[in-house]
Amino acid sequence: MDAVVKEKIEKILYGEIRYTSANLAFNMMISKMQKRLKANSVDMETCMKEMEEFLAKYPIVAKVDLANIAAL
Amino acid sequence: MLINLEETINLINEGKKLHIAADESLLKQLPKGNWIGGTTPYFISEEGGLLTKERLFVDEIDYAEEIRVEAYGKYNIFQIVEECYDNGLTMLIIPYGSQVATKYAKEAPEVEELLMHPTIGWISGFDLETGGTARVYDGTRGESYTDKAVAMYIKLPEGKSAMINMINIFSDDKTDPIIQFNDNDLSVTNCIVNGQDVNLSEYIRKKGIDIKMPLVADYNGSYINTSIKEVTDSTVSFYAPVFRNIEYRFAVDVEDYAAKFRERINEAGAHRPALSCNCILNYQFGNLKGQKIPPYTGPVTFGEVAYQLLNQTLVYCEILG
Repeated sequence: MDAVVKEKIEKILYGEIRYTSANLAFNMMISKMQKRLKANSVDMETCMKEMEEFLAKYPIVAKVDLANIAAL
Repeated sequence: MLINLEETINLINEGKKLHIAADESLLKQLPKGNWIGGTTPYFISEEGGLLTKERLFVDEIDYAEEIRVEAYGKYNIFQIVEECYDNGLTMLIIPYGSQVATKYAKEAPEVEELLMHPTIGWISGFDLETGGTARVYDGTRGESYTDKAVAMYIKLPEGKSAMINMINIFSDDKTDPIIQFNDNDLSVTNCIVNGQDVNLSEYIRKKGIDIKMPLVADYNGSYINTSIKEVTDSTVSFYAPVFRNIEYRFAVDVEDYAAKFRERINEAGAHRPALSCNCILNYQFGNLKGQKIPPYTGPVTFGEVAYQLLNQTLVYCEILG
């Protein structure tokens, strides 16, 4: 994942920018991470690691989201 | 596709990998084979919504490289995240009213790794007029259960991925009060409305809220419904749990469910669902009998699973790649 996309995903997780995916699982994942960050139960590094694993596992599905996030 | 008993038996005997939904009187006549099933006599077919105990709804899983079937109780249901194929799809059927259904409903959203594994499914039911028993079937072993869930693990060929999605006709009005709950529960007395502790039953009565409308929560733009089962003088029970730290609002009223489905399907764009199911509450409250919702056909269910348990939602799976 390139640095620009990574930075934008961090902003999405902090709620600084909004991105809604057409992929339900990705929206659920964002929502879950936002909730955890808000509750201070995990740090951003842990969230980003999970996000990267999620996006890497399904490249066909993630391709569109990564392109959309890059364009935000 | 809705087909008769003989046609279904023929498909099983040909060794096809199948997902089957039908009335118990039909499912119990099926031979062993590569199938899982669950009870419901309600369907959305190409002909429209209907109740039938003469035909079975059968999906052929022709995209599978291989399959495995396992049954799970309340103590081991979340082994599904460990036992699924790395690149696959898990199809889950859980009997309505069972402890495993409750366990799944309450705990699935917090299960580590669940979102890493595409999981679709439904809650089996029965004819609401005559009553009955919700049952699930493991066709590979010739077993049926009222207290266990069955999971079919579907291995997908390299380069293919499963994507689970939903069509939800409900949404909220962002100017309505936010409702929150103190715990993950299927039944509550109090809730917090705009920061104030209130009795939910009383709130519903005072506001004249139509309890056919679910509570909706915004999961980053995907709306997840929680439907109300019953309101008594003091408590409100739900078909799926409410969760702490989630903001809910009551859904905005929907007049014509079938038209709203068609509108949302058009907005979502073209899809080729490999499997779909729709909720019995939509069928009942939205008078979906005779209504067509192309291209989504499948069983009408007592709850839908798209990773976690959903209510009043059309859930579907696509195979991409």
